[in-house]
Amino acid sequence: MRPFELIAPTTVDEALATPGTFLAGGTTLVDLMKLDVLTPQRVLDINDLPLRGIDTGDGLRIGALERMSDIAAHPGTYPVISRALLLSASQQLRNMASIGGNVLQRTRCTYFRDVSSPCNRREPGSGCPALTGANRMHAVLGTSDSCAATHPSDVAVALVALDAEVRLVGPDGSRTVRLADLYRLPGDTPEIENDLRPGELLTEIVVPRLDWASNSTYVKVRDRQSYEFALCSAAVALDVRDSRIVDARVAVGGVATVPWRLTAVEAALRGRPATLATFSDAAAGAADGARPLSANGFKTSLLERTVVRALLELTEGDRA
Amino acid sequence: MTTTRLDAPLKVTGRATYASDHTFPGLAHGYVVVSTIAHGEIESMDVTAAKGSPGVLAVYSPFDPLELRTPSTAFLGETWVPLQDREVGYYGQPIGFVVAETYEQARDAAMLVEVTYRRRPARTSLQDGLATAEDAPPAMDGSPPSLSVLADGVESIEDALAASPVVVDATYRTATQNHAAMEPHSAVAVWEDGTLTVHSGNQGSDLQAQELANALQVDPAAVHAVNPFVGGAFGGKGRTSVPAFLAAAAARALGRPVKAALSREQVFTATAGRAATVQRITLGAERDGTLVAIRHDSWSSTALDRSFVEPTSHGTSREWYSTRNLAISQKMVPLTISPTTFMRAPGEAPGSFALESAIDELAVALDMDPVELRLRNNSTAPPGRDLQWSSKHLDECFAIGAARFGWADRSPQGHTDGDWLVGLGTATAMFPALRFPATVGITLRDDDTAEVATSGADPGTGLLTVLALIGAESLDIAPERITPRLGDSALPSGGMSGGSTATASTGTAIMVAAPKAIDELLALAAAPGAPFAGRDVSYADGRVLADGGSMTFGEVLRAVGRASVSVTGSSAPGEEMTKHSFSSFGAQFCEVRVHRWTREVRVSRMLGVFDAGRIINRKAARSQLMGGMIWGVSAALHEGLDVDADGRPSNADLAGYLLPVNADIGEVDVALVEHPDTLHNSVGARGLGEIGIVGMAAAVANAVHNATGVRVRHIPITIEDLLVPPVRGS
Repeated sequence: MRPFELIAPTTVDEALATPGTFLAGGTTLVDLMKLDVLTPQRVLDINDLPLRGIDTGDGLRIGALERMSDIAAHPGTYPVISRALLLSASQQLRNMASIGGNVLQRTRCTYFRDVSSPCNRREPGSGCPALTGANRMHAVLGTSDSCAATHPSDVAVALVALDAEVRLVGPDGSRTVRLADLYRLPGDTPEIENDLRPGELLTEIVVPRLDWASNSTYVKVRDRQSYEFALCSAAVALDVRDSRIVDARVAVGGVATVPWRLTAVEAALRGRPATLATFSDAAAGAADGARPLSANGFKTSLLERTVVRALLELTEGDRA
Repeated sequence: MTTTRLDAPLKVTGRATYASDHTFPGLAHGYVVVSTIAHGEIESMDVTAAKGSPGVLAVYSPFDPLELRTPSTAFLGETWVPLQDREVGYYGQPIGFVVAETYEQARDAAMLVEVTYRRRPARTSLQDGLATAEDAPPAMDGSPPSLSVLADGVESIEDALAASPVVVDATYRTATQNHAAMEPHSAVAVWEDGTLTVHSGNQGSDLQAQELANALQVDPAAVHAVNPFVGGAFGGKGRTSVPAFLAAAAARALGRPVKAALSREQVFTATAGRAATVQRITLGAERDGTLVAIRHDSWSSTALDRSFVEPTSHGTSREWYSTRNLAISQKMVPLTISPTTFMRAPGEAPGSFALESAIDELAVALDMDPVELRLRNNSTAPPGRDLQWSSKHLDECFAIGAARFGWADRSPQGHTDGDWLVGLGTATAMFPALRFPATVGITLRDDDTAEVATSGADPGTGLLTVLALIGAESLDIAPERITPRLGDSALPSGGMSGGSTATASTGTAIMVAAPKAIDELLALAAAPGAPFAGRDVSYADGRVLADGGSMTFGEVLRAVGRASVSVTGSSAPGEEMTKHSFSSFGAQFCEVRVHRWTREVRVSRMLGVFDAGRIINRKAARSQLMGGMIWGVSAALHEGLDVDADGRPSNADLAGYLLPVNADIGEVDVALVEHPDTLHNSVGARGLGEIGIVGMAAAVANAVHNATGVRVRHIPITIEDLLVPPVRGS
């Protein structure tokens, strides 16, 4: 870790007026500073900013500094959000990490995190060892010849499934964008991970009201039962009436460079009976367009299975 | 006995002082610089920026080295010391050492060191090296890398297999592993009046002191190694660590105390770990399951220095089953990877994954219960040897285990529970009963307490408590009156705490020392002018007895004006080795649940039943065995150091190198059959430190096969190994 200047603004205006790197829970930034991956000269500790509160009046509004653990425990949170949070990281990390930081966290790609390795995301143009190296954890969807790193957040997958929006405040004013639109595919510029403008601060997450999302869940498949990132995850919500699917939301994580909404699977579910046959047929297209690497080809099959499992758990319960 | 370990309160309240907890006035901090290539030569190191960085006291490198010689000791042979040449043989090799006023300053400066290399190609694939593998050096018992035992009239193992009605033949693979002890390798070194004191977690303080004296070219009496608390070792702290060598040498050069500790990432490369293995096993059997032939060919990765070979076939097939024909071989493949060394059950742990998987495959081929197959081939002596097992109750372990685990309810096709496929697996565990030479000092004090002391280490094994318990028994006093001491090279030489030997080795030495102490006490008591002058005296219950009276030993000492009586007792393997074969035994059972759709494997319950002779402290024994079994699950489902083609490990931290978390471990049950083995040593205890891990990975793999019908012949077993259609039951 290199020496840096630490400032703690107390108002949003003050934070926006001061160039620097925002620090919320610190669970990504401090980690990457220790590894020399990020070397900010000035760090703005934004924890004193008034960006708190969970409001369930019309939809769900979550202040960007709310901690993962508090949101997970809030009775007004949709099950898919709560489960995605509780299956993330560890209790200690969830107590520290903010929701704003969570959706903007950096990839866990081993090459990104090691400054002695090339990495197009960290050092544009330096190359991507993951394409031929250790890529079992990497993405099969949304990849490019420059980068195949996954977006590591669980709750972002749930939020994208629910069409969440984020409120951004910058020196030139504020704007609201869909979270799904905030993320950028790596393409030729993997170093640009999102559409945040310089100095812009994420202040709030807004989940539009969706009453039937009370029937939602998050399934996370990983190599150990806790404290591990997803090999594949699925956020699903189903509106089932008289055993028929009226509407569906499906998004997946661990398999794509950004939280990955599966609108085609949703369409294939609508109007069909809520049965295993429907789920299997719909999930069969989940991995369309996948570009497997040397060690992650299994993710296409796992993706379909995870979606089916999540839909089954939603309709039949987690049996035993 | 069932006793809470004596150091537990200190450890759980954070009051135990580990090596890097020590601090001294003027303490400087060192940070190790490691290579970022796997193979080549260092052309240059630009340390200008590092030397100019705030607080930096010195930057050492192969171009400006610390003075260290390669130490060589009788017990350990040669141990590598850093900075003495410009050769790089693995990624993450120590190549520099920055010392500064604070740890952060040293670390920041270390990041400023610019290294230029002349690269040579990395060689990291064990598989690619199989064709050019070298014969391993002789095994630790001196046996050649390849050996065979053939029945009369049988020409070759191939003939024996060809004549076998049922044959299974498969190749198994195990991953590179790291001990990843909770306490990173670390040291604090202080020179005072020409004498070095080193605080550094290690498995044998006297051996560490010898290595340091040798490396620093000073009188062995001038080195004092202290490590009463060791935060895990598992074989990975047998040799003196790089931080200990560097801190000691830098402290001498700078005239200041120096602390050095590896970062967690560095622990994965700058130490030594477990080799990857490839093993081909061919079993030939009669239709009733009687083994006709075992062939076990093994390949182990090793570093360029050929530091250590994982003896998988010698550690298992050589001894485990009764068979008329046996052929084993051991080869090694030198790679540009971190050194290899002992890790809990070296040889037996990965070897048993292969052998016990193969036995399970044979049971399937024979349509026979795997427990029955193992007992059918239960041996009374290692194949081709006359020396029978001194005390073997493996059949009892399986009988108790099968009943306790509900083995009789197992279906050969497993069963389902909701969305989970459930399977049961079993495996044999064995680990040789060994002893190392050990000396223990006993001091009887005039306050009616006694000290039992040896230089050996307690890296979480419970040795400190064992010293108190066996000391109390041998001196016939309550354990509370014993002060056990260890982890200090100034104490009588306890040698290496490794090889599951410490209880048997030091316990026997206590049983030699205690009668000597009592004899000396009695001589004092009956000497002219003493309280029992000229009378027949005896000793019991901490008292000297004579006609018409008795006194505690403290009273006797006070009466004769002595503060204490001190003796030492030594023990070493001896004549018993010519009379019997010695091993601990166990039966491992486990139940796994595999998700019908997404194929995660969960170990829901496991049971190990062990025959390790007399148990000195049931509580600690149970914990030790549980820890080994859990590590077996870790090996089966989680652990593996992944090395890129260029030699860089891709998961060298505890986020990427997976160990099980609490949620991964279901019910763990341990049972002990307690048959004292006094043919091995007078305490009757055999080792149990390592046997807990043995067989467990195979038991998991066998249970996975039972649940899913999929035979996975490598560890760790991960989800993609089981994503093969059809999904049974769905």
